[in-house]
Amino acid sequence: MEEFEPNIIGFLCNWCSYAGADLAGTSRIQYPPNVKIIKVMCSGRINPMYVVNALQQGADGVLIGGCHPGDCHYSRGNYLARRRIAVMKRLLEYIGIEPERVRMTWVSAAEGRKFAEVVEEVTEDIKKIGPMKKIRRENVW
Amino acid sequence: MENLVLSKEKLPEMLTEIASKYALFGPIEENGFTSFKHINNSQEINLDYLLTRISPKSLIFQQTETLFTFNKGKEVKVNTPKTDEAKRVIFGIRPCDARGYSILDPVFEGKKEGDYKDPFYTKKRNRSTLIGLSCNKPDLNCFCTSFDDSPASAKNVDILFTDIGEKYFVDIVTEKGKELIENLSKLFSKASEENREVREKVEQDAINAITRHMNTEGVVKKLDKMFNHDLWQKTAMRCVGCGICTFLCPTCHCFDMQDEAILKEGARIRVWDSCMYPEYTMHASGHNPRPARMNRVRNRIYHKFSYFPKNDKIFACTGCGRCIDYCPVNIDIIDIIAKVKEAKT
Amino acid sequence: MVDLKNLIEITKKIISREDVKYIVGYKKGTYGFQIMPAFAYTPEDAEEFIYSPLCSKNLAVYTILEEKLPLKRGEEEDKRKIGVVVKGCDSRAVVQIIQEKGLKREDLVLIGIPCRGVIEPKKIEKMFPNQTDLIEVIENDNSEYIINIGGKTHKVPKNELLSDVCKSCEFPNPPLYDVLLGEEVEITETEEFSKINELDEKPTEDKWEYWKEHFERCIRCYACREACPLCYCKECMADTLNPQWIRRSVNLSENTAWNIMRAYHLAGRCISCGECERVCPVNIPLMELNKKIERDVKKMFDYTSGLDEEEKPLFGMFKPDDPEDFIL
Repeated sequence: MEEFEPNIIGFLCNWCSYAGADLAGTSRIQYPPNVKIIKVMCSGRINPMYVVNALQQGADGVLIGGCHPGDCHYSRGNYLARRRIAVMKRLLEYIGIEPERVRMTWVSAAEGRKFAEVVEEVTEDIKKIGPMKKIRRENVW
Repeated sequence: MENLVLSKEKLPEMLTEIASKYALFGPIEENGFTSFKHINNSQEINLDYLLTRISPKSLIFQQTETLFTFNKGKEVKVNTPKTDEAKRVIFGIRPCDARGYSILDPVFEGKKEGDYKDPFYTKKRNRSTLIGLSCNKPDLNCFCTSFDDSPASAKNVDILFTDIGEKYFVDIVTEKGKELIENLSKLFSKASEENREVREKVEQDAINAITRHMNTEGVVKKLDKMFNHDLWQKTAMRCVGCGICTFLCPTCHCFDMQDEAILKEGARIRVWDSCMYPEYTMHASGHNPRPARMNRVRNRIYHKFSYFPKNDKIFACTGCGRCIDYCPVNIDIIDIIAKVKEAKT
Repeated sequence: MVDLKNLIEITKKIISREDVKYIVGYKKGTYGFQIMPAFAYTPEDAEEFIYSPLCSKNLAVYTILEEKLPLKRGEEEDKRKIGVVVKGCDSRAVVQIIQEKGLKREDLVLIGIPCRGVIEPKKIEKMFPNQTDLIEVIENDNSEYIINIGGKTHKVPKNELLSDVCKSCEFPNPPLYDVLLGEEVEITETEEFSKINELDEKPTEDKWEYWKEHFERCIRCYACREACPLCYCKECMADTLNPQWIRRSVNLSENTAWNIMRAYHLAGRCISCGECERVCPVNIPLMELNKKIERDVKKMFDYTSGLDEEEKPLFGMFKPDDPEDFIL
């Protein structure tokens, strides 16, 4: 049987995490190709419903990346995101969606190495728990 | 009309027989309330219920229905969806809910030759055989007798079962009903005069047990003069617009249509909607002809007690009492009609 | 104990004021244990007002349901105040809406009632089914409800009929009011909302099994939203078409998304009145979701909703040392 390759949606902020991912690329660091990146201007821009929506539409996991606390380009976006995602994560856990599926990380523009490590860890974890079936849209009419 | 009796212990056998040939639907209890579901094992059926929380209109007028599917590409194809071709038997439906189907018929099937027939409704309706179950103990908010109906009325079903103690008294009303039990005749026996007397007594007792009544005489004419009465504003003040009344009602039939699609394929679906929501009448221009809750509450009553009788000569209410039971702010349709009767115009 | 005479007296006095449009309170319903919201425009209307343990409805919802229709030419906006009879949780709902700038304090007159808990309508209707005549329920000093049915008096221990959310209520006294009827209720020790703990300890799969069963049943009538005093967005995310956050078709995926969305949007805002669960026609235990978030928010951010109008909303502020143990 073919190994399960998860789909992971990465919401990365324009100023740090996305630049970090870019650096990982330009530095030719190898990391799993499972993460599909969507660039947002700030992690504070991520509506927590994005997470639910991504899981509904085919993602097996969601990774959210923002600047380190204190480094936000808009000074407080990542702090706000931290609160929002903390609550959403716990709610999803309570409903019975594995906590490994929703992850958040701080990656700065200089941390290409860290980005690759995070993606590796997240991909590994999601491979272990398998595909997301619980709230996936069936699209059968 | 042919009358038979069926002893209670033979009921599971009958249901199993039916389930082997037809798709059998019946009341099942889950999480403290009953709803109509597909049944595989006759043991699952719960006949202690009085009314299912959600009316069985959902079996024929489904909450979500695919109208057609389409794909995207060089050539666009529109396909009709696969429909469930199985013949159905709906067992244990209450006379009032069965009457709900009869009220929905002119809406979806048209009244005369050449009228548009909704294929989804019509197909399911024609393929269903209804086995009714009389109510021996009507509920607090039952008022079916106010619509020339009775808790043991056989008018709108194919077969009617009435609990007469050890046995069920069986009225076979239509050809469809006859056909259904033709092969099962070994389970039934002829009804005696005594059985019939018991059945009549059970029916009379049930009628007497109904405590609430709605006087609908002259309501249609009265409502014509009451469009601007302040009763509507007064009632609507406490309405929160939750729409429970319309979702649970066996005769409400408003729907919304939407497209759902993924990259290369999609479908147009039909879902229940409710006239109690402001979005329901919202125009694309931004104008809303029913902007206030008053307009919406008034429309619900007018649709049931004025427009519908004018078009189809029948009130769009079966007297099941669900809207009264579950309204969170005690908007009581019996009370409203009583106030309409009293109102000065 | 609320003195009825006092309630009517005060309502009359307030409604006689020129700057008050109407007052929302409770009156007797049409049958059984029913209570309906009442609107007093004149002092005579106020005569009908009652208050009993049956008055479970959260009247704060009527402050946001007030319809402001487009004015006709020459018409002037009616800027008079609305009066509302508020229990502890109702008052907290009002505070929360004011905090979010959804209402102005000066547009409201609040008649506060120190609440001793309300009866769950489903429970009492199960205990005494099929009551056609109107029935009054009184609470005595002995933690019992006295229910008079057809000349026969029943005494029922309070705990058997009390609403589940009331058992764990920490704020029975209205934090915001203009007039308070009677004396503040002493806050006794409350039970924890234990249902969440039970589920919390179960493995993920069991949790999902539990919620799956409930969410599959949802008919998406959105009654939970309409009855909630804090769901007052002009356009709900569930109704927008572009983007369409959740589809209208009723299936497990969309139902789950809707229920997550509803619960999440009340994070740090829900005031635990239990109205959503009370109105749900298919018995989904919505308060468990709300209570779970409430507890998380309290634990992580030490935040309680609806107590101070000047406080900032939970998701509109932050502390640099918010917990971040989950961050990689």
